[in-house]
Amino acid sequence: MSDRINAAKVIAKRKIFETIINPGFYIVQTIGLLLGYFLITRFVQSIDSSGFNFQLNPVYDLIGRSLEGALGATFIDKLFSEGPFLFALYVSFIPAFLYLSVSSVFKFGLEKKIGALELITYGPADGTSYFMGSFARDVLITVLYILVLVVFFGIAAALNNLVLGPMFLYSLVLIFFISLAIYAYGILASVLTDNAASSIALFLGALIFFLIIMFGSFTIVSGYVRNLSNVIAWIIKWLSPFFYWDLGLRAVESGNSLFFLLSLFLLLLLSGIILLISHLTLNARGVRS
Amino acid sequence: MIQTKNLSKLYGNFKAVDRVDLNIPAGEIYGFLGPNGAGKTSTIMMILGIIKPSDGEIFLFNEKYTPNRLDLRKRIGVVPEKHPTGMWTWMTGFEYMAMFAEFFGLKNSKERIKHLLSQVDLLEVGNKKIAEFSRGMLQKLSIVRALLHDPDILFLDEPISGLDPIGIKQIRDLILAENREGRTIFISSHLLSEMEKICHRVAIIFRGRLMAEDKMSALLAKLAKDREIHIDLESIPSQLSDQIKTFPFVLDSMEQDNTLIIKVSKEGDYRKPISEYLIKKNLIPLRIEEKSLSLEEAFVTITRDNVQMFTGFPLSEGGKQ
Repeated sequence: MSDRINAAKVIAKRKIFETIINPGFYIVQTIGLLLGYFLITRFVQSIDSSGFNFQLNPVYDLIGRSLEGALGATFIDKLFSEGPFLFALYVSFIPAFLYLSVSSVFKFGLEKKIGALELITYGPADGTSYFMGSFARDVLITVLYILVLVVFFGIAAALNNLVLGPMFLYSLVLIFFISLAIYAYGILASVLTDNAASSIALFLGALIFFLIIMFGSFTIVSGYVRNLSNVIAWIIKWLSPFFYWDLGLRAVESGNSLFFLLSLFLLLLLSGIILLISHLTLNARGVRS
Repeated sequence: MIQTKNLSKLYGNFKAVDRVDLNIPAGEIYGFLGPNGAGKTSTIMMILGIIKPSDGEIFLFNEKYTPNRLDLRKRIGVVPEKHPTGMWTWMTGFEYMAMFAEFFGLKNSKERIKHLLSQVDLLEVGNKKIAEFSRGMLQKLSIVRALLHDPDILFLDEPISGLDPIGIKQIRDLILAENREGRTIFISSHLLSEMEKICHRVAIIFRGRLMAEDKMSALLAKLAKDREIHIDLESIPSQLSDQIKTFPFVLDSMEQDNTLIIKVSKEGDYRKPISEYLIKKNLIPLRIEEKSLSLEEAFVTITRDNVQMFTGFPLSEGGKQ
């Protein structure tokens, strides 16, 4: 076990370094932060004497109409109940998060295909050490980015005379735990496929599928998708990280801390189960593509 | 040190490896030969724990081996056929070696890394990025990487392919030096002339089955149907060839320029009676050489004969059925 942990540490260290020296990581972070700041400043312009009115600003007018059409008025109310921060947080987080998750899946697939993974496993490491290292890199970089977001939004709130509410802080914790589950799905996708392209296709396909299932449970898209997704969602909602996101947000909304903690625990459990399945699958399939 | 019992691998209905029994003692340089698709790589991958056997057992260091035995894997060094192209290109040669030293938990590895790099003339380029390394340099780097943790067994898959003559000699010398230090070396290669120079024992695998396994000299002797003695003379008198044919051990005799080529039966050393006969006839042999079967010829003999045995059709000149 100690050999495996040591190998995972070495892999994580190199992967973190690889991420830090890559300009792509800074580009997506900058894009995310600029978008976040843009949304905050436009939000301020959408406030009048009666409060927030997204018709006052063309950007929010467009966002409001699109989201209301897709997710419903209740969801929009929830999203903007504490000002622009919750929405801006997701908008800022998603580019860097997608970059991290997709690059991990891509690297895993590529390293398996060209024999780098095999080379690492000639010694006191195995496929599990590799994905543990890769997972550790994703987690640590995500923590780092969340810290950047906290500082950034703290400054942005101060500059615009706004206050970060509890929903924002709970959401920070929630997106971290959702990220864990999604990174775990990325590993499973890489383990199940033989090359980078198919790994990414499976991973993104799964995410889109989970999103459709979740959106289908709101009043969106066509009736067919809604009806179908209601049935499927009932069966597979427990596998979707987005289900726990909704669960967590509802818990925060109703002020139920225990329920919130339960959703975090379930996300951890889901991540653990997916990693365990990845370990068993990798053991059975081997590291050779 | 390395033992397989009844080792088999099935891909669907195709038997890639069929009941292979290997027994390689410590300190040996063992050559594992076979044409493409013979089952060499599958056998090696099973021994290394990369793919699972369909049947059979593997023993390393007298212990039953499964892929989870990371403690046993730790004692093996592996050089794959190719360094993964495009990987770790941002690292220098030193950083690459340091990463693997960390994998193996080696302390104070700097001196060992320098020593190994100097053995293959890579010390001066140790600070260069791997992206700038040529294929030959990557191959040499791969070999010293495999030696970094001082493994008991070294697996080499086509270790000299892509190297220039100087590189080949460096790697050959390194392999021999490592073996002299007691390391067991398992080499898979199709460069038979090189294998002949360094291997103590060879095995030939063909269509998943182990066709022959023996000491190099014994294998060649076993396969040689007859031998040739080549004698250089200043000139060859007429009738000499026919006179030589009268010896009971001579199967045939012919002339080629000033060389007398005498085919003799397998057993015995006939150089002495032939040279005595020539001297009696006032002919001074300038050179006497016994030509034995090369490993390449033995390899072709084994695989060709068995193709015929399995299919009923001989191999054509081009090597295809």
